Amino acid sequence: MKIAKKLLLQLLLTFLSIILISGLPELIMNKNVSAYFGKVKAVFIEMLYLNEMTYLNQGIKRPFLEDIWEPYFYSLTILFGALFIALCFAQVLTWGTLMLPNFIRKIIKNILTFLESLPDLLVFALVQMGIVLIYKKTGVLVSNVASLGAEDRIYIVPITCLMLLPFVYFYKMMILMTEEEMGKQYVETSLAKGMKRLYVLVFHVTRNTSEGIFHFSKSVLWFMISNLLLVEIIFNIHGITHYMYHDFRPEMLAACLILLVIPFFLIFALFEWTIMRYSKRSEAL
Amino acid sequence: MIKNFKFWTGFFIIFGLIASSIIFSVFFDSHVRQVQVLYDENMTPIEAAPFEPSFMFPLGTDPLGYDTAGKVLQGAKFTLISVIVIGILRVIFSFAVAIPLAFYMPEKIRKGLDQLLSSFYFIPLTIIAIFILSPILKEQIKIPEMEEYFIYSFAERIGLEIIILTLLVVPLLGSMIGNMMASTLKEDFIEGANVLGASRMRIFKKHVMPHLLPKLIIVWCQQCVQVLIIFTHLGYFKLFFGGTDIDFNPFWRDPPKSLSNEWSGLVGNYYTYIQGNPAIALGPIIMFGIAIYAFQLMAEGFQRHLETRKVKGFKQAKRTKRQEDAVEASGKFQFLQNRGA
Repeated sequence: MKIAKKLLLQLLLTFLSIILISGLPELIMNKNVSAYFGKVKAVFIEMLYLNEMTYLNQGIKRPFLEDIWEPYFYSLTILFGALFIALCFAQVLTWGTLMLPNFIRKIIKNILTFLESLPDLLVFALVQMGIVLIYKKTGVLVSNVASLGAEDRIYIVPITCLMLLPFVYFYKMMILMTEEEMGKQYVETSLAKGMKRLYVLVFHVTRNTSEGIFHFSKSVLWFMISNLLLVEIIFNIHGITHYMYHDFRPEMLAACLILLVIPFFLIFALFEWTIMRYSKRSEAL
Repeated sequence: MIKNFKFWTGFFIIFGLIASSIIFSVFFDSHVRQVQVLYDENMTPIEAAPFEPSFMFPLGTDPLGYDTAGKVLQGAKFTLISVIVIGILRVIFSFAVAIPLAFYMPEKIRKGLDQLLSSFYFIPLTIIAIFILSPILKEQIKIPEMEEYFIYSFAERIGLEIIILTLLVVPLLGSMIGNMMASTLKEDFIEGANVLGASRMRIFKKHVMPHLLPKLIIVWCQQCVQVLIIFTHLGYFKLFFGGTDIDFNPFWRDPPKSLSNEWSGLVGNYYTYIQGNPAIALGPIIMFGIAIYAFQLMAEGFQRHLETRKVKGFKQAKRTKRQEDAVEASGKFQFLQNRGA
């Protein structure tokens, strides 16, 4: 129960900071503190009556909540799909890499440092160019490079774009953490007992690294949400950030961000609870 | 002295870019050459702008024939210096926030505050930065008189952008540095100093700072990387460092212009050519990549230096290979964990 209380408080504070931030442009435009607080109050009231909130769609007022669900879930699919695929790939490759000799691992780590420093915009550009190139050379259209409108859904390209960098981050992090874990006593004991290296790696080491990876994934996700905005605009995807960017009002921003925050919050709370429950290590944290 | 190849490579890339950019502006007045048509010996035109990257134009030219490499060189000093400044400010501010967190708060309150601050993990930085910076950086227009204006002057715009990009990360970074400090305070030698009657000030100056300062340099490198990434994002959304010049001419609009050719402006201006003429668009983004890689090399090299340096005055016993590996692994682990959680 203690953890539930803590999480609820954290959620409320996140909402509060989102609302406080969303008033800031008002402060900057008018250089007037009371206008800022007026705006914050207005946004706050708007958030309380979210079901009555409206937005302009081609000059017509439409209820916000009615229209937002489909793009919202579409965005979530892309985001979580990318996160999930990146995690799985990275985990499998880590197992493979850890079976390799040390000097190859070193080379891989150096390559990963290099890949880590690719700006995300460059990755998106390369994916876009790659698809066009494949199409020109072979005539096979891997996927549409851009979505044509609200009804048109593309999945492969945005998910690929979004997953590439998180995959590199996870991969490098996992290699470092697993290598550290491999130096511990229990691994030596189990290897001495005659267990297979792969078995120890998959069943014992992975469980112990997973907690660190979970904490790391928070910051990866943080940066993926920013990337989602870029991807959706580059590929003309009609997701939640479409509403955010094309109707850049404080109310809209606050509403969209709050909607985006909720699922993450729930998932992280669930994981945290599981870890608290099943591992004694978390007591130290 | 730092004996590490990676660190110096990164350092010289950054230093070289800034220095050559300044030399370019002092001695050549940042003159970017413009070649619209290439002729052969018989004065017959053989090629017209935009040129592909070649020996003559390392990064190609834009459709008007301006040399992209020249523009990149001209803009390097603005981008890199502002990145370095924002990085330093971020670390200093967060450090100032961290001191009371680590020294004067009881453990319980610090943990609670940490939880509160971690709510910032759910607020994506780029989106907020775009949102707050739009009114500052975009040129506005008064509707009846059709007069273009910025709300703030040039210096104010740059100042505000630097302040906002700094303040947005202070909560997270501050709590991170606070945790680093608190874990240093738990070390055995601090307890020893306490027993011997050292004051808080002395502990801070003599024991915590020497421990923390090298780590802060690594944090600084990471922050520089982050600022560079935000600059590419802002550039894509046409928010350029120091202001975006927007043409409000209703009939034939010029695309938004960067006022100083700094790199995010180049990214924003050229990204539209990605399908038709990728070479133009990729040039500035690749430069960002090089800068990011340089900062990462610096961080990694410095990290390596910390692990292998010899402490002054003591002759260290030769470590076994195994011990060294263990040290390396634990050092890396700590550093990445700090970045993550």
